Amino acid sequence: MSIREIFALICFLIAIIFGLGGIIGLFRFRDPYSRLHAGSLCGTTCALSTFFGLLLLSSSIGMATRIVVIIVFFLISAPTGSSIVGRFIWESNDTEQTKKKKEQVL
Amino acid sequence: MEIRSKWKLLRFFFTNLFLFAVWVLFTADLSAFSLLAGILGSLLISALTYDIFLSEHQANLRFFLPSFWGLFKFLLFMFLELYKSSFQVLVAVITGKTNPRIVHFRTRLRSDLARATLSNAITFTPGTLTLDLNDDHLTVHWLFCNTTHTKAAGIAIKEKMEKQLGHVWL
Repeated sequence: MSIREIFALICFLIAIIFGLGGIIGLFRFRDPYSRLHAGSLCGTTCALSTFFGLLLLSSSIGMATRIVVIIVFFLISAPTGSSIVGRFIWESNDTEQTKKKKEQVL
Repeated sequence: MEIRSKWKLLRFFFTNLFLFAVWVLFTADLSAFSLLAGILGSLLISALTYDIFLSEHQANLRFFLPSFWGLFKFLLFMFLELYKSSFQVLVAVITGKTNPRIVHFRTRLRSDLARATLSNAITFTPGTLTLDLNDDHLTVHWLFCNTTHTKAAGIAIKEKMEKQLGHVWL
């Protein structure tokens, strides 16, 4: 096993740990915002660590460039997506918890 | 030439340049036909959309052209910050100790792109989530809240990122 593969495996291990933590948090937390935080643990940290591992394993410059492009688009799309979900919860007054939170702020 | 039409031409040029760069990156093909098709397509699209891509009031080149050394440093900083706050959230998942609150603060950044990047960077790190960005006013949901004071919360959440982003865009 080359040193590159060992580092890639470490990256994948980090991804697995954070992904597992994210899924556990998704069920443990009780309000929608906190669940979104746990979801972003899965969605950004786990995915980014996987991408770094793949970048270490990539066999040619062309493939590495494509992974870098994917990372750039991921950096833009992942936070935007979870921000849209959070904004939807913030603007809809349906849940009891959101109402309570808004009263606390205002 | 009048200053407004000069600015219009410059915006058109930068939109065109960006679209063409993305085209070359995606096709990964440097044959003459592909390049010509890319130029024609990007000319057409930028003629239609340059006003949306770069609006007129963003009247400074430093508002949308990043300094690349600053961008590189910002990205490194963000990756470090991502793993740091991910670890914090992981500990919170195991222990169950959180204090979620919604805080409000303002940002000093002036360009639209820098503000959007700041709010995306705040959402990117687990533990903080941008709910709303209204001009320079950010509404943020914070998982480990220890203060609702505007200035203190702003310093705790975005002070370092804002400083780094100030070197990238204005």
